[in-house]
Amino acid sequence: MAGLVAGIALGGGALAYDGTNCRAPGNCWEPKPGYPETVAGTKYDPQHDPAELSKQAESLAAMDERNAMRVKHFKETGEFIYDVSKIPGAN
Amino acid sequence: MSMRTAKRMPALTLAALIAAPALAASPALANDTLVEMAKDPRNWVMTGRDYSANNYSTMDQINKENVSELRSAWSFSTGVLHGHEGTPLVIGDVMYVHSPFPNTTFALDLNEPGKIIWQNKPRQDPTARSVACCDVVNRGLAYWPGDGEVDPLIFRTQLDGHIVAMDAATGETRWVMENSDIRVGSTLTIAPYVIKDNVIVGSSGAELGVRGYVTAYDVKTGEQRWRAFATGPDEDMRLSADFNAPNPHYGQWDLGLDTWEGDAWKIGGGTNWGWYAYDPDEDLFYYGSGNAAPWNETMRPGDNKWTNSIWGRDPDDGMARFAYQKTPHDEWDYAGVNVMMLSEQEDRDGNMRKLLTHPDRNGIVYTLDRSTGDLVSADKLDDTVNWTKTVQLDTGLPVRDPEFGTRMDHKSRDICPSAMGYHNQGHDSYDPERQVFLMGLNHICMDWEPFMLPYRAGQFFVGATLWMYPGPKGDRQNDLGLGQVKAYDAITGEFKWEVMERFSVWGGTMATAGGLTFYGTLDGFLKARDTDTGELLWKYRLPSGAIGHPMTYEHDGTQYVAIYYGVGGWPGVGLVFDLQDPTAGLGSVGAFKRLQEYTQMGGGIMVFSLDGRNPYSDPNVGEYQPNEG
Repeated sequence: MAGLVAGIALGGGALAYDGTNCRAPGNCWEPKPGYPETVAGTKYDPQHDPAELSKQAESLAAMDERNAMRVKHFKETGEFIYDVSKIPGAN
Repeated sequence: MSMRTAKRMPALTLAALIAAPALAASPALANDTLVEMAKDPRNWVMTGRDYSANNYSTMDQINKENVSELRSAWSFSTGVLHGHEGTPLVIGDVMYVHSPFPNTTFALDLNEPGKIIWQNKPRQDPTARSVACCDVVNRGLAYWPGDGEVDPLIFRTQLDGHIVAMDAATGETRWVMENSDIRVGSTLTIAPYVIKDNVIVGSSGAELGVRGYVTAYDVKTGEQRWRAFATGPDEDMRLSADFNAPNPHYGQWDLGLDTWEGDAWKIGGGTNWGWYAYDPDEDLFYYGSGNAAPWNETMRPGDNKWTNSIWGRDPDDGMARFAYQKTPHDEWDYAGVNVMMLSEQEDRDGNMRKLLTHPDRNGIVYTLDRSTGDLVSADKLDDTVNWTKTVQLDTGLPVRDPEFGTRMDHKSRDICPSAMGYHNQGHDSYDPERQVFLMGLNHICMDWEPFMLPYRAGQFFVGATLWMYPGPKGDRQNDLGLGQVKAYDAITGEFKWEVMERFSVWGGTMATAGGLTFYGTLDGFLKARDTDTGELLWKYRLPSGAIGHPMTYEHDGTQYVAIYYGVGGWPGVGLVFDLQDPTAGLGSVGAFKRLQEYTQMGGGIMVFSLDGRNPYSDPNVGEYQPNEG
């Protein structure tokens, strides 16, 4: 019975979640009833692989570097070369 | 990468093109030239016609009284099937046409309509198709008018993530830069946008966990000027020192990290693939960041700033003056990228305001003061929106109805709107004379069941199964009644009129001073309604369904109306890829399963005028001359 009451109370709290109870301006999220405040270590932990998470930044940095080579050659010579392996002195 | 397929331009057209920037040569900046060119109703120089993104033309040769005499004038096939979103550009005597993947660009001679002045066909990695979330669409081109040093340019995005600058007169590729890497799931579908001497480009791929960003490149060299992300450290998001100062309750500092758990912000979405608008006086441009990733909300606790937000940024350095998050902690894929239409209107207190009006995916149409970011109004696009009860104007917060929230281990039912939103990528219009917004809408609701999945760069990262069906005002027994068109007054919050459509009005609308509102339909019609009453005055059966927005231009004294045909996009995924599972296509297949009864794939442009008048009305125009080169 106590568990049921606790469940109802918890559920009541969750149902009250309407996104307007803010801990700070712009920070108003609350966990839903029965769901964790943080998911790390719970059954909802996505267990992200740090190596996978870093791939986007690595890719952007590599693209930016290649683009910079293209721009440099274009500005210096007026000739645009996409394939950076064919840009003189770029590698 | 092959880029040099351009052909020579006829001397007459070339002369006309060269003359175009000279018409407004006095302004010091190319940007001023573009503003001046947009004032000429004969042109359509950017996707939304001008920087206000109002899709409104002052031309009235075609009007309520004579629109019944509108006839097809000429047409052009892009040679590409799949969804044709966006609209062509017209600069002087040339129409610039884009296509879905493989993203061929055409320059057409309006003196001999359909004659190809040049075409630029990129060779792309075909695997780009496999990481596109929702068909292989593209939303259009951008034009830079030249400055005496460099001739006018046309810009194109490619599905494989490149941004390309082409000579507007010859089609020769000037430069190509990598903006998005398909190997990590990042693509490009957005129309680029020119402000001053920068070309601004967004990003796609939130369904694959892409962290969204917007980037500016120098139009002449392709050199990167700045890049601003939607999530992460404040420096990455380029927040100005006075960011949100007029509205600190929206949130200000460190929220791109503090509203995420751990490193989830690195794969948190917030891509921007919709539309831009720009106010030259405020020197701010406006756009929306998209949905949080993954769709499974339980995997990412927090408000997930600054996904699903309206941004106002300085185009020179990318610094954000304000951001307003419409859907904190998105639980429904309410990507916030939709059109921002700029108007000047008196508010309810009689004060003239510079406004920004944005019909959002989440079913709310927001109007902000575009100088400060102040929330002026937030009205439901339809009274069937149920995920939120209301939006508090003082706090800016939606008051969520927990019954329609989503969470793991639970199937939520009858959420309105669906993930497709009550409004999606359609570029709508604003009639400044009538002070009314003309909006093409979806009327679709959904059931939603999340599931866990790992993040792997370059793979889909959604984590939810969706079932979609018509909203309460549609016909759920027959799977029809999936769209609406409404005329909205942002000051009173009232709808002047509204009509139901068989399917979503996906592409948006165009309004004219002739008192007409044009739009295309998925089932293959171009329609014209009376802007004052909504009465249907004219329609024409297109070769395939339309998901782009209409445009209008004038050539040799004749007003034309043009629209792409080519069904596809998210609502057409089931049709174009022959899918049957109702949950496929991120849930769209079930909702649009009857679309195939009304249209099939195609791709091109149809152009209309009164009585079908066009240059070929003189049959000698364009005839073969034995001695021509």
